[in-house]
Amino acid sequence: MARCIFHIDLDAFFASVEQALNPELSGKPVIVGGDPERRGVVASASYEARPFGIHAGMPLSKARRLCPQAIFIQAGFSRYREPSHKFMEILSDFSPCIEPLGLDEAYLDVTGYQEPYGSPQELALAIKERIYKELKLTASIGIATCKVVAKIASDLCKPDGLLEITPGEECHFLNPLPVAKLPGVGKKTEQVLKEMAIATIGELASLPLDIVKKRFGKFGMVIHGYANGIDDRKVEAPGESKSINKQNTFAQDTLEQHFLEASLHYLCEQVSAELRYRDKQARSVTLKLRYADFKTITRQVTLKEASNVSQVIFAAALQLLSKVLAQKEKPIRLIGIKVSNLSGKEKQLHMFNTETEKLGHLDRAIDEIRKRYGSTAIKKGKDILSLS
Amino acid sequence: MKLSCLQENLNRGLGIVGRAVATRSTLPITQNILLASEQSRLKLAATNLEMATTCWVGAKVEQDGAITIPARLLIDFVNSLPNDLIEITLPPNSHTLEFKSGRFQAHINGIDAQDFPPIPEVSDGVTTNIEADAFREGITQVVFAAATEESRPVLTGINTEFEGEKFNLVAADGFRLAVYKTTLNSPVSDKATVIIPARTLNELNRLLGDQEEPVEITINQQKSQALFHLKNAELVSQLIQGSFPNYSQVIPQSYATRAVVDVKEFLRVIKMSSIFARDASGIIRLFITPGAELTPGKVTVSAQAEEVGGNVSEIDALVDGEEAKIAFNVKYLSDVLSVLHQAQVALEITTPSSPGVIRPMGVDNYVHVIMPMFVQW
Repeated sequence: MARCIFHIDLDAFFASVEQALNPELSGKPVIVGGDPERRGVVASASYEARPFGIHAGMPLSKARRLCPQAIFIQAGFSRYREPSHKFMEILSDFSPCIEPLGLDEAYLDVTGYQEPYGSPQELALAIKERIYKELKLTASIGIATCKVVAKIASDLCKPDGLLEITPGEECHFLNPLPVAKLPGVGKKTEQVLKEMAIATIGELASLPLDIVKKRFGKFGMVIHGYANGIDDRKVEAPGESKSINKQNTFAQDTLEQHFLEASLHYLCEQVSAELRYRDKQARSVTLKLRYADFKTITRQVTLKEASNVSQVIFAAALQLLSKVLAQKEKPIRLIGIKVSNLSGKEKQLHMFNTETEKLGHLDRAIDEIRKRYGSTAIKKGKDILSLS
Repeated sequence: MKLSCLQENLNRGLGIVGRAVATRSTLPITQNILLASEQSRLKLAATNLEMATTCWVGAKVEQDGAITIPARLLIDFVNSLPNDLIEITLPPNSHTLEFKSGRFQAHINGIDAQDFPPIPEVSDGVTTNIEADAFREGITQVVFAAATEESRPVLTGINTEFEGEKFNLVAADGFRLAVYKTTLNSPVSDKATVIIPARTLNELNRLLGDQEEPVEITINQQKSQALFHLKNAELVSQLIQGSFPNYSQVIPQSYATRAVVDVKEFLRVIKMSSIFARDASGIIRLFITPGAELTPGKVTVSAQAEEVGGNVSEIDALVDGEEAKIAFNVKYLSDVLSVLHQAQVALEITTPSSPGVIRPMGVDNYVHVIMPMFVQW
């Protein structure tokens, strides 16, 4: 039996929540992001702002130039958590098979659950209605037999849309679209495809698989399948994530070593605390740096034994940073840290008391203090520098 | 230099010194072997600056002299010759050594013997000797427990204690500890404790071969050097500086549960579980169940790898004490069980998070301590 999969995406989520919370904003261009005087990008723009050419990911300074009358609001993630939570709750009333993607979108496998409503479209309308009634938000829903087509469909019918691609119509729907519409095809892939004279999804779909595979490897097989409307991925609740990431974009590009180290230390403290909170240990530590020219590099190291001790993670990350700084002197725009290769709490016990063990005790004591008195109750000296 | 010797003897001599040749070195001459006439013998020597091996080969010396020759080339060439007399000649003022054996000839360019690092002479210090059998057994049962990575240099060595007649070898890598005790043939006058590199003792074990004669040992703590005098070779080694951790406090003085098992059976189930444990961070779980009136006690060994599968095995055991459980890295258990030649061992445990102890039955000169893995039970 063909599956029936919905991709439900809330329209301009952050901006719409702000408008819902503050009726004075409705009907006006609202841009949610950081402080436009400093750096940062548009996280969400209301549909009133979009005709000015504003879209998510655009630098705030540019957004202000394009639409000076827009109302700029600093993102307040605590304000979005509640509606996001309710949104997911509403969806799970319609089918238990839900896969949230971030705060404002989700896949829903409604195979079999559409019967009482007569058709998938009727069911989708019922979902939209409840979302609007309870959250004062609009959603766009794509309906298809697989995830990738459902996602493209919801994207194309925004805002407040509904688009069903009936079984068998997938290729007819996909063929004329530009390849960039395919999830996974970014600027780089698009460029390569362009050099191969491939502009539309249909052209990609009709390429022999060998050629795509030769050019893009495994990833080529995936996008070639997508282009043909083939996507066997199940809708499933995300398992435990396989890595933890934290990153920070600086207010100004910098090469100041102490500042970089302090920022890195702060990020390492955060990922380690999350590891400990989730009873995990990491074996791999990856440093990410983005230079002023947006060139991004990553460097990875494997620890001798898995750890969730802040100082151990930091020491590994610092070593990577020092190595990079020794080679290249280019102002840095963003620093990030990722821990992966996660395992549980299991660990080999040591015979002689080691320094690492003591640091582990220190971490646990700090965690306990923060749990009781808040995350700012105690800080390491290094972190103060990163926040100044 | 002009001398002649048998290919068989030269080949054996090169086999003895060959392992002491430096593999990677900033000092190229340490990749050479020193050849020098000494009375009516040919002396061969090699050093990697941590240890140096010397041996002597019977030869007919017509003219004295010395030279160093690249080890790999010399060993491979001599090895390819038939067992016949080899004439070796170093023409005056030359650095090219000439070989002639029947219808085969070769010449190899060397480096002046003057440039070869002097092999230290260890004469003063603590001197004693030990039975070759005991020394071999001690090295075999201890050396694998030394650390292989260099973050704590003292743990890459074997803590060697001389006191009166007592001779103890101790190795620990922070996760396990091996202690072997034996006696010296002649008591030492002064107590001495030194750390000998594990690499040195491994090489010594190899050189010992099936030697039956006792090994003479000279330790010079001031110079931080040790000399081992074997039947047909001498090994000089640098000692590792620093102090070994206080290991005696790590050895539990009592136990809550003790299981006596057959070594071969235990090793078999351990190895069986290691097949699954390799996908589970090496973790195996041991459950010890005391016997009842009609059933023998048992040790259950299991490994569970989430994505692969798992296994459970049982062996009979003579159990003293309560039911117990503990998890170990499978490598540490199989390492120690593989070097024991006794038929039975006792496994003693206290709690799942305190060290486990392995003692071979029938002897009281060896103890092995393994730190457990902390796991979710």
